[in-house]
Amino acid sequence: MTTAIIETRGLTRSYGEICALKPVDLIVGEGEWLSVMGHSGSGKSTLLNLLGGLDRPDGGTIRVAGVDLLSLSEDGLARFRRERVGIIFQQHHLIPYLTAVENVMMAQYFHSIPDEVEARGALERVGLGHRLLNRPGELSGGEQQRVCIARAIINSPGILLADEPTGNLDHASTRVVMELLAELRAEERFTIIMVTHNREVASWGERTIHMDDGILVREEFRGR
Amino acid sequence: MTTALKYIPLLLSWGGIVCALGRGFPLGSGTLAAICVAAFLAGTLMPLLLGVTVAITVIKGVVATGCVAFWLVAMAALYAATGTGASRERWSRSLHSRSAGIGSALLAGLLAGAAAACQIVPLGGAVQPMPLAVAALAGIAVALLAARGERLIPGEFTLAGGALLALPLSFILLITSSSPRLDLFSPLVMKVMKFIHDFVHQFFESMLIPDHPFFRPNVWEFIGFFFGSGVGLWGGLIIWFTPLAAVAAAIRLERLPSVAHIRQGAQRRRLLAGHIRQRRQRLAAPLVTALVLAAAVYQSRFPAVEYWDPAPITVTATPAGDLLIPETGEVDLTDGRLHKFLYRQGGREVRFMVLANPAGGYTVTLDACAICKPQGYGQGEGALLCYYCNTLIPLDTVGRPGGCNPVPVPARSVTEGVRIDAATLLNLWSKTVQATAGSTGEGR
Repeated sequence: MTTAIIETRGLTRSYGEICALKPVDLIVGEGEWLSVMGHSGSGKSTLLNLLGGLDRPDGGTIRVAGVDLLSLSEDGLARFRRERVGIIFQQHHLIPYLTAVENVMMAQYFHSIPDEVEARGALERVGLGHRLLNRPGELSGGEQQRVCIARAIINSPGILLADEPTGNLDHASTRVVMELLAELRAEERFTIIMVTHNREVASWGERTIHMDDGILVREEFRGR
Repeated sequence: MTTALKYIPLLLSWGGIVCALGRGFPLGSGTLAAICVAAFLAGTLMPLLLGVTVAITVIKGVVATGCVAFWLVAMAALYAATGTGASRERWSRSLHSRSAGIGSALLAGLLAGAAAACQIVPLGGAVQPMPLAVAALAGIAVALLAARGERLIPGEFTLAGGALLALPLSFILLITSSSPRLDLFSPLVMKVMKFIHDFVHQFFESMLIPDHPFFRPNVWEFIGFFFGSGVGLWGGLIIWFTPLAAVAAAIRLERLPSVAHIRQGAQRRRLLAGHIRQRRQRLAAPLVTALVLAAAVYQSRFPAVEYWDPAPITVTATPAGDLLIPETGEVDLTDGRLHKFLYRQGGREVRFMVLANPAGGYTVTLDACAICKPQGYGQGEGALLCYYCNTLIPLDTVGRPGGCNPVPVPARSVTEGVRIDAATLLNLWSKTVQATAGSTGEGR
């Protein structure tokens, strides 16, 4: 096993009466591709949000790349998110009135300073060299998701969190996106944690953990 | 109590100087406090040892030299900013040395202490030890507090290059501007105005611009601007703020270090962003300096010093055409204070002043000089102040003609008081004052 980049112990999170995450212990190795599967409401996205510093747990500990997330202030957590984590959402969350390249540059802006040449390079890398100046509304779902990937990797985050990245895509687009993620991971050695409902998509990961009712019930290892 | 309150801005400025030195030089709070305390104390003794007049001359001379040095440093900073990284490094190292810090702290302490004492010790009057001791103690306390409190200033506030000289100097200028005797901005404004007037005059003379009634109005449409009251002020402001703008420009123009060797884009951008952020933070010092300088200008233009300025008493002429001002009557002419009178005749108004002189007689002058607009004079500690140009006229020179001195009026001291010829008074006002007023309604 490689060095652990993510380590959680006794991680819990409740929303009022609902206990979304019961104590979860998880270790993710550096460069590993982990798929998280489970039914709706099983706690997958809650776990992802906690690992990405988008939410704070009620109990337990999270260490990501040696940083104890619970010890970070709001500013520290924001810095952690913009420097260490890239997030890909099912709904893309692209800014509709900015072009593809401007959407990528927006991520650069919040990280440090925008660099258009680098942003164009990132979009060319995900196969969107011909769509640089198109707005999200002028792109297909698969293309929008590829802009999201370019936006997520532009700051070399080390950890890529993907929440149902292919949930809105057809079979062909799903394949393109997954191949792209695999290719980027091979080049950059990202750690990928991907939440999905889809068994075939999950099979792209080296390991799949199954969640049910807020607890980790099973894990499978696959070589691909 | 009111007198003590007047020294609060001075003490705050002194605190600002100590903080700036603490932030700019590697001295350590203990060393900085010790040097500043010793220098301030020595400074407060300067007017006693040298005399107030000499001390004022020394302070003004040193601060003026500092201003000239600031111009040179600012221009050098601008040059260094566009130069190579190596020259910038050398430049920065020499400015931030410990010995430069000790020298600056000594000089600043001496100047601040002397300036504080000069505002307490009256011109030619007896020294009161108690207020002087209180001022010295207050200065020492402020130095100790500021040396320790400097660490409370956010770490992002750094002083580099020309800003290192600019901030302490601006605080010293704020201190000096609080006293018309030490102020440098008003004399600068007057000198700029005079220079421009002389230059324009000489230029027109040398260019043989025809002084024909036909051309004169057209020519004045162009050059009238240079003779307006604002020209000196704007010139002074340009001289005052230009080196600061140069320092800010030097910081802004500083080249960013090369990051081309870093392969990863995000890391390269993060490094660049850090440098840009630091450069932006360094601009905070010139900004604070600009605010302090603006406060100094404001203080110079609108001094908080209270002057004795009595309302003029209307007098009438005797049938013989004389004005007789009784020695004791509505006012007591022998009390050593300035007394103002107003004489009206045929729609014309003349303001004049009577002041007892050390010879036992009276000095009579117009409440105006032959140069400035007739805004009048106020009496301060050992001097009259021209309200128009803020020039101080020592009391022993009042009655002498020339410069910004009030125009002397021939008068006779008689047993009852002082007697002035009304016609002479009217003629003097018409000849020397209305020419400068521009219009009859310009006087106060």
